[in-house]
Amino acid sequence: MALPLPPGLTPPEVAFLCEMELVTVIPRQRLESLELLGGPTAALFPPHRSNIPLWLALLLKRQRRANISPPPWLTPTSLSAILEFEIEHSKEAFSPPPRLAPSAGSNNTSPPFLLSATSDAPPEALPYHWLELGEILLEAAPDDFEEPDQVRRLMRDLREVRTAKLRAGVAVLDAGGGVKMNGVGGMEVAEGRAFIGGVIDGLRKIGASREQARREREAEERDNGYAGTAEDDEDEMDL
Amino acid sequence: MDIDDILADVSTAAEPQESRDLQQLTRAWVAERVAPEVLPWPAGLMDRIEGRIRRQIELVEEQTGNMDPKANFRLIVIQTELERFKFLVRSFLRARIAKIDKYAQHYLSLAAQQPTLLAPTELQYLQAHIALLSRHYSTSFLSAFPPSLQRLDDTAGGISMVDGPDLDTVVFCRVLRDVGTVRVEGTDVEMNMRRGDVWVVRWGSIRNAVVERGDIELI
Repeated sequence: MALPLPPGLTPPEVAFLCEMELVTVIPRQRLESLELLGGPTAALFPPHRSNIPLWLALLLKRQRRANISPPPWLTPTSLSAILEFEIEHSKEAFSPPPRLAPSAGSNNTSPPFLLSATSDAPPEALPYHWLELGEILLEAAPDDFEEPDQVRRLMRDLREVRTAKLRAGVAVLDAGGGVKMNGVGGMEVAEGRAFIGGVIDGLRKIGASREQARREREAEERDNGYAGTAEDDEDEMDL
Repeated sequence: MDIDDILADVSTAAEPQESRDLQQLTRAWVAERVAPEVLPWPAGLMDRIEGRIRRQIELVEEQTGNMDPKANFRLIVIQTELERFKFLVRSFLRARIAKIDKYAQHYLSLAAQQPTLLAPTELQYLQAHIALLSRHYSTSFLSAFPPSLQRLDDTAGGISMVDGPDLDTVVFCRVLRDVGTVRVEGTDVEMNMRRGDVWVVRWGSIRNAVVERGDIELI
């Protein structure tokens, strides 16, 4: 009954998450709004475009009730621009993720609910679920792309360039963690987690006694020097 | 607060409760799958979702006899989504039970201090699990030991025999609101965490920002 999987999402689970992304469809049949558990869906009136979750779009596509309009970043022009950036201008880091909408206190929506795969998504950046989304759409709806083979080829190139970066990044890992990985994709996290986590945790266990000694020394210094911060011991955020 | 903040506030408030619950459940599921320890039970959220799932199942049962092809297709969509929700809830619960099973003694003492950590049913399960296990141990071999060696939660010699999860395991996380500088104790690592960043970091050093403030989410 208990889940026999190690911590961290598996690739099928990442794909499941990705299927919650909204995509733009061009319906061929009417379908009124449905009261689903996750809120009402958009009503479909041909030929008006609507945004619906990917899992529903795939269902409609399979029954030839709708066409899926690929997001603007999943086109040969955008992908080759991003690929060039990944190779020429950002030799170590990933290309930056899509820009976030202005922040507000309560507004902390994150992928897969960010509207990064609809037809008005920004064309110049790869969203979090880029790999999964691209693969799923190329598999289920190749006829909705103008140049599916071109897109497929660019996706493969991008994947290779980025996997190489993920591997090269291993050199900077150390026991404390604290590695910034902006722009990383969901599937890349799932792939790299076991290795990156294993290396950092392994290094930490090797250096555990030294770290413990230092922690004690620091606590001692705090007790002696700055009594004010001593009670914030547990809460490192405010230091 | 500037105009963008106000607009953003209005747009999230306009979102139906169902959609917000789906987002929260998804986030809770991912966090539970990733974090090394059991996170506090989201009682209100789970009550709402369980109620909705129950009603949706009733709806499907009522409408299954309907032979109209249009209604039939609607039903397929509803059932597909129902299955997705059931998967989310089930996987969430199973991930929690896996951790509870693994560190049963640890969570039993923790649940006594933090009543909101586990759901009532989870606590019941945990108590039954431990009762079974200790009875099994004592009938099979523990009863043959001297009484001083029979305890399962001994702390003699300053070493507790109760195993807990390793809270310094690294996790991948995404920053939802600017957090500022985070220091990992005992090391030189300092991170300036800003909204939208993705970090690989020790669970222990961001735990409060995830659990209490919701400033960071696990991925």
